[in-house]
Amino acid sequence: MKLNLIGLVFGAAFGGVLAASNLHEYDTIHAMLRFDELDVYFFMGSAIAVSLPLLWLFEKRGVNTPFGGRLVLSRSMPKKHHWQGGALFGVGWAMAGTCPAPALVMLSSGAMLSLVAIPGIFLGLWLRQRQTTGVLVAGDGEHRETVSG
Amino acid sequence: MFDLLPARLEWYYGGPLLGLLIVGLFVLANQPLGASGAYVQTSGLIRRRGGVVTWRVWYFVGMFLGGVLVTQVLRDGAEIRSGYDSLRDVFPLAVVIPMVFAGATLLGYGAAMAGGCTSGHGMCGTAQRSPASVAATATFMATAIATTLVLRLLTGGDL
Repeated sequence: MKLNLIGLVFGAAFGGVLAASNLHEYDTIHAMLRFDELDVYFFMGSAIAVSLPLLWLFEKRGVNTPFGGRLVLSRSMPKKHHWQGGALFGVGWAMAGTCPAPALVMLSSGAMLSLVAIPGIFLGLWLRQRQTTGVLVAGDGEHRETVSG
Repeated sequence: MFDLLPARLEWYYGGPLLGLLIVGLFVLANQPLGASGAYVQTSGLIRRRGGVVTWRVWYFVGMFLGGVLVTQVLRDGAEIRSGYDSLRDVFPLAVVIPMVFAGATLLGYGAAMAGGCTSGHGMCGTAQRSPASVAATATFMATAIATTLVLRLLTGGDL
């Protein structure tokens, strides 16, 4: 139960930060990929610059998390599917000008073309799942053992 | 509703804030702040599949509600519109709709194949120092920039 609440709160905070930064707008993503402005690169870079050293430190100290056991980061070596999947993702990202989390925020902001993008994302994820085992895992970007409720 | 937020939060607030959220979810639940996994779980729930990770569905709902909070409550309330302004300046809706749908399907397929998207690999995976995430991120950045360049050339610089 508490994990559900954490999910809701962190989802909302994540969506809120994306919305406040206008990352749900096609124009923001397109301007970034055109190099008209560098804000989104700085945004992503500073998010990593803050989280990487802290996660490193907490992992080294063996922090125990209240809802997920001992903090363990996962690292895997690149395989073919990472390159291939990444390449396809990038082409789609540039065409649709959005990605999974910003597409939901786009809907909440009243932009109706998100109703085209969101079903497309669901379809794409499902098509790939159908080809593989069909197990409900997103993969190793979000590779953790699933803890339920 | 309340006009409390600027039109766009500067990256030096938003980026570090997101970094702290990434750390927060790891420290509380040992989980990455991804997004495509939440879609996978939500579609599992809709299709009544077994083994759905419930909290990821709440997280999916949360992403939408966080957007509502910022765009409709804390800001002046965005009206219903189509979105995709600069794309619509170049193409009619008859082109925009299939293009957005095809792009979204492609990115969903790619995210499932790579095992993560901009948040899962791009930020959380990189922050965990995972070589696979760095590889996926470098690849999607490169192909996204290249695709944008191609679109720009095809439209004579309009897009």
